[in-house]
Amino acid sequence: MRRRPFARLYDAPETSRGREGAVACILLALLASAAAAQPTVSPQTPPEKPRAAAPAVVTIPGPKDLKFPPLRAVQPPNLVSATLPNGMKISLLEDHDLPTIHGVALVRAGSLLDPPEKIGLAALTGTLLRSGGTAAKTPDQMDNMLETMAASIDSGADESSIRAGFAALKENAGAVLGLLRETLAQPEFRQDKLDVLRAQMRAAIAQRNDDATRLVHREFASAIYGRDNPYGWVSQYANVDRISRNDVRAFYRRYFFPANVTLALWGDFEAASMKAAIEKEFAGWNEAAQPAPVFPQVKDAPAPGVYLAEIKDTGNAYFAIGHLDGRIDDKDLPALQIMSTILGNGPRGRLAEKARAKTGAPHEIRASWIAAHDHPGLFEISGSTRGVGAVDVIKVIQGEIERIRTTEVTEEELRDAREGLLNATVFAFDTKAKLITRSVTLDYFGYPKDYVQQYQKALQAVTRADVLRVAKQHIAPAKLTIVVAVNPQMLGEPLSSLGGTVSTIDLTIPEARAEAVETTDASRAEGKLLLQKAQAAMGGAERLAAVKDYTETASYQLDVSVPNMGGATVSETDRWIAPTSFRQESVLPGGRVAVYTDGKLGWITTPQGWGALSGIQQKQVYGDLFRSWFRLILSDRIEGRTVNAVDSTSVEIIDGAGQEAKIEFDPASGLPRRITYDTPQPVGAPLFTEDVVEDYREVDGIKLPFKATINQSGRRFAEVTVTEYKINSGLKVPDLARRPM
Amino acid sequence: MIAAVAGVLAAQDIKEFEKKVTEFVLPNGLHFLIVERHDAPAVSFHTYVRVGSANDPAGHTGLTYLFERVSLTGTENIGSKGWTEERKALDAVENLYDSLENERNLGPKASQPRIETLQTQLRLAIDTAQRFGLPDAYRDFIEEGGGTKAAVHTTPDGSECEYSLPSNRIELWFLMESQRLMRPVFRDFYAERDTLLETVQKRDAAGPGRATNAFLAAAFEAHPYRNPVAGWPSDLANLRRTDARAFFEKYYVPGNVVMALVGDVNPAEAKRLAEKYFGAWAARPLPPQVSTQEPPQLGPRTAMLESEGRPVTVIGYKRPSVFDKDDAALDLLQIVLTQGRAGLLYKELVTDKHYAQSVRASSTFPAGRYPNSFVFILTPGPGHTVEENQRTLEEFLNRLKQQRLDPGTMDRARAQARAQFINRLSGNAGLAGMLGFYQANFGDWRKLFVNLDAYAKVTADDMQRVLIKYFVPMTRTTVSAVLPGQMTLMPAPPPEKRAGDKQ
Repeated sequence: MRRRPFARLYDAPETSRGREGAVACILLALLASAAAAQPTVSPQTPPEKPRAAAPAVVTIPGPKDLKFPPLRAVQPPNLVSATLPNGMKISLLEDHDLPTIHGVALVRAGSLLDPPEKIGLAALTGTLLRSGGTAAKTPDQMDNMLETMAASIDSGADESSIRAGFAALKENAGAVLGLLRETLAQPEFRQDKLDVLRAQMRAAIAQRNDDATRLVHREFASAIYGRDNPYGWVSQYANVDRISRNDVRAFYRRYFFPANVTLALWGDFEAASMKAAIEKEFAGWNEAAQPAPVFPQVKDAPAPGVYLAEIKDTGNAYFAIGHLDGRIDDKDLPALQIMSTILGNGPRGRLAEKARAKTGAPHEIRASWIAAHDHPGLFEISGSTRGVGAVDVIKVIQGEIERIRTTEVTEEELRDAREGLLNATVFAFDTKAKLITRSVTLDYFGYPKDYVQQYQKALQAVTRADVLRVAKQHIAPAKLTIVVAVNPQMLGEPLSSLGGTVSTIDLTIPEARAEAVETTDASRAEGKLLLQKAQAAMGGAERLAAVKDYTETASYQLDVSVPNMGGATVSETDRWIAPTSFRQESVLPGGRVAVYTDGKLGWITTPQGWGALSGIQQKQVYGDLFRSWFRLILSDRIEGRTVNAVDSTSVEIIDGAGQEAKIEFDPASGLPRRITYDTPQPVGAPLFTEDVVEDYREVDGIKLPFKATINQSGRRFAEVTVTEYKINSGLKVPDLARRPM
Repeated sequence: MIAAVAGVLAAQDIKEFEKKVTEFVLPNGLHFLIVERHDAPAVSFHTYVRVGSANDPAGHTGLTYLFERVSLTGTENIGSKGWTEERKALDAVENLYDSLENERNLGPKASQPRIETLQTQLRLAIDTAQRFGLPDAYRDFIEEGGGTKAAVHTTPDGSECEYSLPSNRIELWFLMESQRLMRPVFRDFYAERDTLLETVQKRDAAGPGRATNAFLAAAFEAHPYRNPVAGWPSDLANLRRTDARAFFEKYYVPGNVVMALVGDVNPAEAKRLAEKYFGAWAARPLPPQVSTQEPPQLGPRTAMLESEGRPVTVIGYKRPSVFDKDDAALDLLQIVLTQGRAGLLYKELVTDKHYAQSVRASSTFPAGRYPNSFVFILTPGPGHTVEENQRTLEEFLNRLKQQRLDPGTMDRARAQARAQFINRLSGNAGLAGMLGFYQANFGDWRKLFVNLDAYAKVTADDMQRVLIKYFVPMTRTTVSAVLPGQMTLMPAPPPEKRAGDKQ
């Protein structure tokens, strides 16, 4: 039997009620890497005390009476490090506890290196590294091979690295190492996986204002770092749409070369033979070294003041208060962390206690001094409260910031904060995996090997006077940035009573079409060429032009997330007669709907009755007619339509009446693979829609797609399966125009 | 070939491991397992008590689950503002509760006004008692001591409490755990009870828990596996602090408990502390095992329920306890059928036919000490019904019974079983949990490695044999939750042929 297959059904809430997070959080952020190496060896086990005699009558002490021996320092891992002939660095840690091997490859790249117009490129590249398959293996083949070995490879990007990690049973280490090498050296970044990822990124953008806590953290960082650089900018639909497979490949080629990679392995192996095995496996990877990437500098341009992010649907206010702070190598860091722990360590911190005393309600307020390895981090006090008392709570926080800058903390506060931070250090290094990855990360940023021991020692040495000194020196009340997400009507007192002006943050998520593609004679000529290439691929322009009518029968499987009709199957028949007679019949769960237009006028029938085609339905039908296959693909022959190249694989088609669509072509076949356009909505902004088409089959000598995936605003809308195309079957306009009874 | 290699490795593992494990039993029967891992100055602690919701007394379901929560509200010394006064106040609550029950027990002759007066007095008494207590104090001491990854679990077979501390604070665990198990006072019992009741009711209002609860009630006629771990709401609403006390005295005896410590710990020091803190825990007779046996199931059972949320169908087949020789084969079968994208049933129902959106299975449900069931939980895909899924599963299992699984599939399953097992041993907390579990349930932690070995020995013939033996309509139970108003009360129509079913 395997344990707890359904533990989820039974698990009780954690006993600690999630409070331990506060301290751990600060430290983990700090040590997101901190590990150790130098011998500051202390005894392995606590000193043996003389044995008690027979435990006949023992007085049991209270928890406060216990005296504990000093905490043993974190042991440095016994790493074997080397640089291979191709320039790749390796770090190995033997661990014979269990017959498994783990590893992680660290590539110096990351989202800080995103080009400004393609924010998200590093993230896409990082994820696609694994999910896009390799030159020799499709993603499915990779998945199957790994599953058969009960192994895994995962990849992803963060701010300043791209990582690919693996886990394997010892007996499969060679095979999995081979797959890791393929992943790093020959990734294929397959287009369909890129599309899936882009859709997910669009969905994430669409939802980014849904969670007020995350919204506040993001806007706080943006306000402080500035929105014109990678530390503070935010990705938009347009950025995501603009990232092509070529961009991913170019990003990969710039940063993936052996000298830019560190590979760390730990597990049940013998270091010398593992080193030889890695060297052999990676011997063929010899990309020349390029200049080492340099991450951008943070500019220190404080933006003090109060910023309002207007949100609805809640009576609560979410806030973040703080300013730029320093780096992990700041010698005052331990004292600053003790200071922020005293201020805001969950419900027991000073801030939460004072806020509760003031408003009578419990509060979760956190203060963190989040230093970074190679650039200034953030001092951030954050939390939430009822809107009505928000200004009071923020004033309490301002008062407490002043107090910690002017009065020494108590000995007890100092001791508790120090103990908490020391304990958190223990659990930041309690597994081999954490030890080695943090150790390698420290090295990556050029920190000394004994950094963690130094840090632990420094924590022990912090005095009350130190805390006062660093608070005075590092906290600048005049520089505080205050971001509040709230429905202003829920505030008991306006934010302006905090002093100074209140700026409102624009939370709109701009649609992708905002910026127009530059249109020149050359781009028009290139657009025409691309379209004609597609016509040729589909069977030839003349054959397409000879189509005078067609019928398309398809089944739409709506995604479960679609409002009202989620999960339903809709069958649809489109009939078209050149030039602009168009009829669409749909069988929905609620009944049949038919629409007809001659290009100008038309009707619609629904189970509720019929009427003239107008409003939103008219707009939608015009769009469908505009994009009907044979018209769209012959747009260069239709008067009033402009065809314009966007880049080397896509064109934009615009007509005089405000219809617009973009076609992206498959570079190999020349056939359309993705059509993007806006779908008008009864209320609100139109939805960005994309049809990804595939499964081309020949019908009367013309290649037509039999499958399509429709996404709207980054969310899956429907899977379409075409059951039949009929071409030139002799449709008659009066038949199309006749309303069903 | 691969099987042979895996077997050798397992045998080596046990020898290697035995060197690191220190085992001792106190004279009162309390069992300790210690594993030294000195990589980091941290220790994980795990207490496994061989009492689960299957031991809940009749009419008192939910007691084990509630007990684990209430045991963390402190002791006489920890969490009281003044034990003498608090004790008086707690006793007053029980006296009033007795009077209230006596009045209620009069049945039709009971006086409603008197009941109401007593209820008001009871509420006031509970409020008064709360004023003497600091129910968070116990947890706060652990947290302030650096405790992390704290959790309690209750299953039908066992109760577990675990957390990790920096290794200089080992004595804190001995102190806190010994007081929790030797001198609990069940502070805040009624507040915890009412919170749990609310949680259970909220969860039952919607969600998959409702379908699995209905499945257990339908599949088990007599055995207590039929009861939800968190209890039936009306039982919960009437649980008393005195019930918890009686239950505690019967089941929380040292011989019924296994404690595992893994990490930066010196076994000699641990033994000294164990004697100091747990030595005074009086030995008592072991509690009785569950004596109710589930009678043989004589035919298929079907139940349906209406529930908000996604439709789901739970289909289970009876199987023997985990002590049976077929246990490993059933585990492998679960992997072969539903694990990952290569799972055969996953491929059939999700990838190929799109009938289901998700397919999950558990080889051992709801727990394994007594005969239980192998369950499938299927979530129909958009446009597809629970009936379609049930029928396809049945056909699929019948087809599988006629064939031997190919070597590739068997190797994949063995490798995955082995990897999962080993991964659970990698962290200190995971290893402590596994050791405690095996010692308590199998009587010897070494069975952990014997079981690991057993996976390597399962053959394709074994798989076919267990399929034929256990996956029979006679012992099948099917429970489906559908949206309100969507229940098909007519017999299901024959399967339609749909275009595009097969690619």
